[in-house]
Amino acid sequence: MTRKKILGSHVKRLLSGVSAHGRRHLSEVETDLLQTELLLEEAIDKLTSSFLAIHSAVGERQAAIDRLLAGGRPSAEDSAALAAMSGEIGSHVNTAITSMQFQDMTSQLIERTLKRVTGLRDFLGTLDEHGADIHAETGSEEIVERLGKVSMALAIQSLELRSVLRKSVEQQHLESGDIELF
Amino acid sequence: MAKTILAVDDSSSLRQMVAFSLKAAGYQVVEAVDGQDGLDKARLQAVDLVLTDQNMPRMDGLSLIKQLRGLPDYQKVPILMLTTESSDEMKAKGRAAGANGWLVKPFDPQRLIEVVKKVIG
Repeated sequence: MTRKKILGSHVKRLLSGVSAHGRRHLSEVETDLLQTELLLEEAIDKLTSSFLAIHSAVGERQAAIDRLLAGGRPSAEDSAALAAMSGEIGSHVNTAITSMQFQDMTSQLIERTLKRVTGLRDFLGTLDEHGADIHAETGSEEIVERLGKVSMALAIQSLELRSVLRKSVEQQHLESGDIELF
Repeated sequence: MAKTILAVDDSSSLRQMVAFSLKAAGYQVVEAVDGQDGLDKARLQAVDLVLTDQNMPRMDGLSLIKQLRGLPDYQKVPILMLTTESSDEMKAKGRAAGANGWLVKPFDPQRLIEVVKKVIG
């Protein structure tokens, strides 16, 4: 192979490696951000519903509470409504607790995205560092050697980055998860 | 006397929600911020059940289980994982480490209490 062809194949390998690495990680960033958005939207919807339901459950009993405070006797209906109040509000609070766990899931997704962004920045930094050693007067053999080194360094960084990015949150909704006793 | 549960999670809001739910059902709760803190607290105080997250700084849930199972007082204490992890592979690792159950987040307080009652009464 001629020197020109060798140089061309090294440049091609480097460019396609950088492109594949960047696209793969940016696609994952996109997926994680979309998942975060879904979880946040659902959490806000469910929390809003829960808080409004709690407000409504208390408001519906206000007339009965006012009658009691004024010294009146509660009707059978009032007594039943007040007796059921704790259970009804407890149920809305339980729903809210399930929804509030969005923070735990989204923070893991955001942490993963941050690691990926930091990894990409380091990756581009490596490219810049090696590129700085190549000058207009650098010979083609030396350029080939340097391109080989940068490709190797980037391949290692790419593997290292992948090894710390295992996905721990697959949830797309805030429904309570499976339970399994061993 | 109320039974004591050690709740280990690096998310403070999650710990609060677990503690709120368990205390409302009459259990005492000791909180730990990660696996290492959980191990330290388990050594200081006997507990009836350990409920632990998996992904935490310093020491993860699986490592905590392995450490606890190495302590004479914790060989038979029930340990449940409460985590976002839901893969069969992770569940198998949990089982092999000595976990007695696997609960996938988010948890529903009512269902959590039912499981805890089933395990420790």
